[in-house]
Amino acid sequence: MVAIDAEQTTLTGGTRTGLPPAIRIALLQVALLAALLAAWELAIRFGLLAVYIYGQPSGVAAKAVTLIGNGELLRDAALTAWEAVAGFLIGTILGSAAGLALWLVPTGAAVLRPYLVALNGLPKIALAPLIIVWFGIGISSKIAIAAIITFIVAVITALQGAKQVDADLIKLLRSLGASRVKTWRTVIVPGAMPWIVAAFRLNVGFALIGAVVGEYIASKEGLGYMIYYAGVLYDLNAVWVGIATLMAVALLMYGAIDLIERRLLS
Amino acid sequence: MNAPAPTLARESNAAPVVLRAENIGVTFHGNGKPVEAIRKVDFELHQGETLAIVGPSGCGKSTLFNAIAGLLRPTSGHVDVGGVRVGDAAGHVGYMLQKDLLLPWRTVLGNVMLGLEIRKVPKPRARPIALELIKAYGLAGFEHAKPAALSGGMRQRVAIMRTLAFDPEVILLDEPFSALDFQTRLLMQADVSRIIAERGKSAILVTHDIGEAIAMANRVLVLSARPATVRALHVVNLSREGRDPAALRTDPLFQEYFAKIWADLEKPAGVA
Repeated sequence: MVAIDAEQTTLTGGTRTGLPPAIRIALLQVALLAALLAAWELAIRFGLLAVYIYGQPSGVAAKAVTLIGNGELLRDAALTAWEAVAGFLIGTILGSAAGLALWLVPTGAAVLRPYLVALNGLPKIALAPLIIVWFGIGISSKIAIAAIITFIVAVITALQGAKQVDADLIKLLRSLGASRVKTWRTVIVPGAMPWIVAAFRLNVGFALIGAVVGEYIASKEGLGYMIYYAGVLYDLNAVWVGIATLMAVALLMYGAIDLIERRLLS
Repeated sequence: MNAPAPTLARESNAAPVVLRAENIGVTFHGNGKPVEAIRKVDFELHQGETLAIVGPSGCGKSTLFNAIAGLLRPTSGHVDVGGVRVGDAAGHVGYMLQKDLLLPWRTVLGNVMLGLEIRKVPKPRARPIALELIKAYGLAGFEHAKPAALSGGMRQRVAIMRTLAFDPEVILLDEPFSALDFQTRLLMQADVSRIIAERGKSAILVTHDIGEAIAMANRVLVLSARPATVRALHVVNLSREGRDPAALRTDPLFQEYFAKIWADLEKPAGVA
């Protein structure tokens, strides 16, 4: 019924309720969340679900107020966001540059190929314990985890992006007398740009995973630590606050990537 | 306009030679036994003429094209452009392929300026050259448009402008219109041969389309099946000046040339 209504809406440009379709969809989205939360809250109140296993929306809200009030939540969120952003920038910029540069040294690319394939197949988070040993339990190890994971992804994607540039385009440049470096600057780098930007998007996720998992393993602060610690203590309401905050951080970072993408690809 | 170079083959033969291919042979050493693609091909291209190279499919036309363009070193023989051996230094020839190879992130103007930029022509000198071409060939107003906003024919026109901009001695065309629809293709053939004549350029057109060869060239070189050798050379004596592509094709002379070249072309085995 809803689907049919939506279709008619687009065809006629208006609905019987008089609401534009975008607003209608947004209202339905909010309603869906509200219904889920209400069902959850009621299930706890009527004893259908155990509060110490699932938490409780009203309790989550109260916890959020407390954690925002004493400044802990903001501090933890800022720390995790900083680790992820710093790791993302270091790994993605260096990785994209290295991947593009590898096009200039085909022998180097050929030699590194099997290693890159192997690293690409590896669930990169498995490297986290090693990196914590190398960098300690402070903030630098979280940045390093995020940086190393995003570096690997960026190198592979940038190299792939450079390689998919039309061979005839490279021939054309060569016939015009362009050097390899000039060809690289003129067609390889811009031609690989959509791939590199696609890696940004992947890497936002990887950088956050890197920072949070690093905090799970060894740290004394940050959202990952807060979630992990609250979980150990069976403070499920605090776990939910942490997860929701992490989602907000991720949304902000994706929003920033959207802006960068529009600038780079326009 | 008196005695335009393309009309008389005898005249164009008297014109100086701009490109000479001597004893070109290409053998590929893949896995296993060597494959001979081209054997002892000789020809000359005169100032202001268009030479078409036709041959059965798979005969090595594109290999020959790559050797002329300096993108592939022939196993034997050599190509000279303006007395300079091709392959030692790239860039005496400009070429145009079926794909327009426009850079999608650059504007029309940026694409036309590409060759000049690579030859390190300073922007203040390159810009007016590009703008003049864009205006002369009907794309005024599109200088700052991206290629995605253009039709197939317009894109190919930008590609020919890019080739003309850096003023190569010889223009190589490899099946340049085969991706276009029939009507656009005929119009572009007329358009491009007019542009080449106007700019006084010499051109080599590699094609499998006999009609295209007759419509555009002064001489037609027919290659044999692999290994490609020169099978015949036809002089095309048609006046194209201001003629509609359809009128040209219904000219009895056009059809006569068509029948002659068709007869020279080896038929692929297994097709009746």
